[in-house]
Amino acid sequence: MTMERLDLFRALAAVRRDEIVITTMTATLQWPLVSRHELDFDFLAFGMGHASDFGLGLALARPERKVIVLKGDGGLLMSLGSLVTIGRYGPPNLLVLLLENRGYEMTGGQEFAPDVDFVTLARGAGIEKVERIEDLAGVEAELPRLLAEPGPHFVVLPVTNSEPLPPVAHTDHAGRVTTLRRALGVVPDAEEA
Amino acid sequence: MGRDPRGGTPAEVSGASAARALAVIKELGFTDVVSIPDGESRHLYQALVDEPTIEVYLPTREGEGIALAAGLWVGGRQPFLLIQNTGLMEAGDALRGCGIGPGIPLLLLVGWRGYPGAAAGALPIDSAYPYTEPLLDAWGVPHRRLMGDEDLDVIEQMATLAAETSMPAAVVYGYGFTP
Repeated sequence: MTMERLDLFRALAAVRRDEIVITTMTATLQWPLVSRHELDFDFLAFGMGHASDFGLGLALARPERKVIVLKGDGGLLMSLGSLVTIGRYGPPNLLVLLLENRGYEMTGGQEFAPDVDFVTLARGAGIEKVERIEDLAGVEAELPRLLAEPGPHFVVLPVTNSEPLPPVAHTDHAGRVTTLRRALGVVPDAEEA
Repeated sequence: MGRDPRGGTPAEVSGASAARALAVIKELGFTDVVSIPDGESRHLYQALVDEPTIEVYLPTREGEGIALAAGLWVGGRQPFLLIQNTGLMEAGDALRGCGIGPGIPLLLLVGWRGYPGAAAGALPIDSAYPYTEPLLDAWGVPHRRLMGDEDLDVIEQMATLAAETSMPAAVVYGYGFTP
């Protein structure tokens, strides 16, 4: 079973409040269609495969705030060791939502090894709270728990997409960082202009 | 085997004191270190592990570590990285994307694999040796050498430069830290 990715994003946006949401690459290009939030952070162009590494650091730095990482399975394969690091250091406020489409969507949908089992990989890396949710009804039922329950959580979500993708927009790197630091209160509004 | 310019064969030459380096790092207010240690940094790594005011994270690869450190900094912490030059070479995309591109002031302490042998004129030269400083130059990352206790002030210089420019800066250590 799978779910439409945009439906998944709508379901998440409906229950998300003050959590940081980190998105990256083609798998999450549609997130801005459902969310315009000061705690949205577009990781695009920050480093191939490293969104959850960045999210781990952010979650460790801000233990009072949930950090949600939305990333694709191809991106995870580019930094597979990050599962081990999350298994060792992952704090309770980290939630990784892995969008599983089993191919490199950005470059034309090339399929990677078909038998990769991301749940097994994550558990084997030492992450205790690993689950797979197969459909939208399951996501809608489980998201409130995932946002409230201490983690770290690693959740595999099989997705398809039949909707047109927005164009890739490489907005200012430094500006994205400054905006998030201001939203978190790390720096006053007047600094890092 | 040739003689090292500091007076011994490579195996006999030691670098800065880990205890003194740690004192500098603490004075600068660093809160976290993300490190994949090399043989030369093992004493400094252990000193950091033993230091209760600094959190130590050991990722699986250096690119992962740079992204982790960037997340720590964006969240308000003050991390630095302790890695080898070979790992820095692996981490190019992460350094570009999580350091240079967004202007995140990461201090990099980089072990210079190949330096002691090359400095002593030993052959063959480790291929990691000649690319280290030119690679940092190519990225536009300023760097200074740390070869002994007399150079420890370069840590503060590079940390200050990183903060003032909001860009990564590096300290390259050529010899192993002593306890």
